[in-house]
Amino acid sequence: MSETREIRTDYLARVEGEGAMLVRVRDGALEEVQFKIFEPPRFFEALLRGRRFTEAPDITARICGICPIAYMASSAAAMEQVCGVELPPQLQALRRLIYCGEWIESHVLHVAMLHAPDFLGYDGAIELARDRRDLVEVALRLKKLGNELMRVIGGREVHPVNFRVGGFYRVPTVSELRALVPELEWAREAGRELVRWTAGFDFPDYERDYAFVSLRHPGEYPIERGRIVSSTGLDISVDEYEEHFTESHVERSNALHSSLAGVGSYLVGPLARYALNHDELSDVAKEAAAEAGLGPVVRNPFRSIVVRAVETVYAADEALRIIAAYERPDEPAMECVPRAASGHGCTEAPRGICWHRYRIDDEGTILDAKIVPPTSQNQKTIEEDLVGVVSGSLDLADEELAHRCEQTIRNYDPCISCATHFLRFEVERL
Amino acid sequence: MHLLRDPFSPLRGGAPLKTAAVCLGSPFRGDDAVGPVVAERLRRAGAVVLDCADEPTRLLDLWDGLDAVVVVDAIRGGATPGALYRMDVGDGPLPRDLRLASTHAMGIADALELGRALGRAPRRVVVLGVEGATFGIGDEMTPAVTAALDELVASVLRDLEEATCTSAR
Repeated sequence: MSETREIRTDYLARVEGEGAMLVRVRDGALEEVQFKIFEPPRFFEALLRGRRFTEAPDITARICGICPIAYMASSAAAMEQVCGVELPPQLQALRRLIYCGEWIESHVLHVAMLHAPDFLGYDGAIELARDRRDLVEVALRLKKLGNELMRVIGGREVHPVNFRVGGFYRVPTVSELRALVPELEWAREAGRELVRWTAGFDFPDYERDYAFVSLRHPGEYPIERGRIVSSTGLDISVDEYEEHFTESHVERSNALHSSLAGVGSYLVGPLARYALNHDELSDVAKEAAAEAGLGPVVRNPFRSIVVRAVETVYAADEALRIIAAYERPDEPAMECVPRAASGHGCTEAPRGICWHRYRIDDEGTILDAKIVPPTSQNQKTIEEDLVGVVSGSLDLADEELAHRCEQTIRNYDPCISCATHFLRFEVERL
Repeated sequence: MHLLRDPFSPLRGGAPLKTAAVCLGSPFRGDDAVGPVVAERLRRAGAVVLDCADEPTRLLDLWDGLDAVVVVDAIRGGATPGALYRMDVGDGPLPRDLRLASTHAMGIADALELGRALGRAPRRVVVLGVEGATFGIGDEMTPAVTAALDELVASVLRDLEEATCTSAR
């Protein structure tokens, strides 16, 4: 007699959005895993057509409330490329500084509030807060600092208003930034505590030989600029992305699966950045990683939580470095004169590279836009992880298996609101 | 008479405000735009609106020191589009499935519970909402929902005023 098991979970908690997942086990063997993403209506790309090139940062910021800077920075970089403008060092540094705030806020939210409960057996942050109020208070204070960086440079915490193509509307004074130093110094130490805490978790024994893809820029850990590199030997400018990466339609999910030519699925985000740029981490971040027992490459996706904590240390440390070297620019922005051309921008969102392409005319009107967010690039890899994790965990009871699957998906901090805007989660075991 | 005791002072600095509205939703998702649209109208009326956007744990800092908040959102409750809801949840839990239009990392119900676990939540929460019909990216707001906004805004202002009076006692 054929035995089937079925698990259904209607909603995937603690990811940004709604998710759908199906696991089907028939006669004790894994039959199918689907990580479904409903069609991202290319709404924002359509909305951008016909708008002024200067509006792209403010419009794309609305794609995600968690990582607006990623969209603003990538779209601004693309438009600046169109206009042939290169930001002077201090404006570039401010871009990087506000991005550090986004990394801190996003990483801490995910590490402490969304992902840590998986490892500690809690349903979520509320239960964690009841037992470990101290840790949750530290996380909230770190998040608040991330917000504060966004506010001081961006004008407000959510969907910053001070960011523009060519730079900023107003640049902060030296003393405004120096005022953040004591809290950043605290944050750097608190981040190390976060690394120690997460390093002590029990991690499922699972590794894969991922094709890592991230930015790389000489002399710095990649955040707001760089070339696109991979562990398979790719090294291209952001302009060449479409020659090497393709999106193909997957019938059952309506979503586009990204693929690297000659390689297939690939991974973007903290594990990829870390593996491809470990040498560029600051000393304090390297120390934190070494103390946590991390080598220069981490292939266990469950340990991504520790790498996020290491990147939080780095972001605080880097913010301190930038502030120490800051001199207020005379002009808050470079003049950007449009011309008929295409421009490309790519930056490291907390979840991985966020790639944009725009074509504009001589008047500066956007003719078309393409945006590839990190979570859609990771989708295929997430599904493959699920196959691997489920195959090795078929002896688990249904509830535990469902939980393990959710934990696996959360390894990627999938920002489904960016990738797809709507996603239902459903686990099914037959 | 001001609707609030001190409606024009910023959240940071000055005397702490005791009540505020929290308006949820995306301006790009059909009837989910109720929150942002109402927020704008409340601000014009001088009310204090907390900017929540997509990440409700920010509220834990924003509503620090508040006695009461009025939450405004589009709701999928199976009623006729445009129907108004009012729930005075007092110090009880927010219904977690209140808002299916957009499920975020941590919804406002979770943020409230988290705040309570940490002793950082307002004592009283009132939810005001309107039944929505369409929540797709790029959808227009349903006419019945648009038509209900005047009454919804008036209700929010009434509740803010009442909460202020209550908390001032």
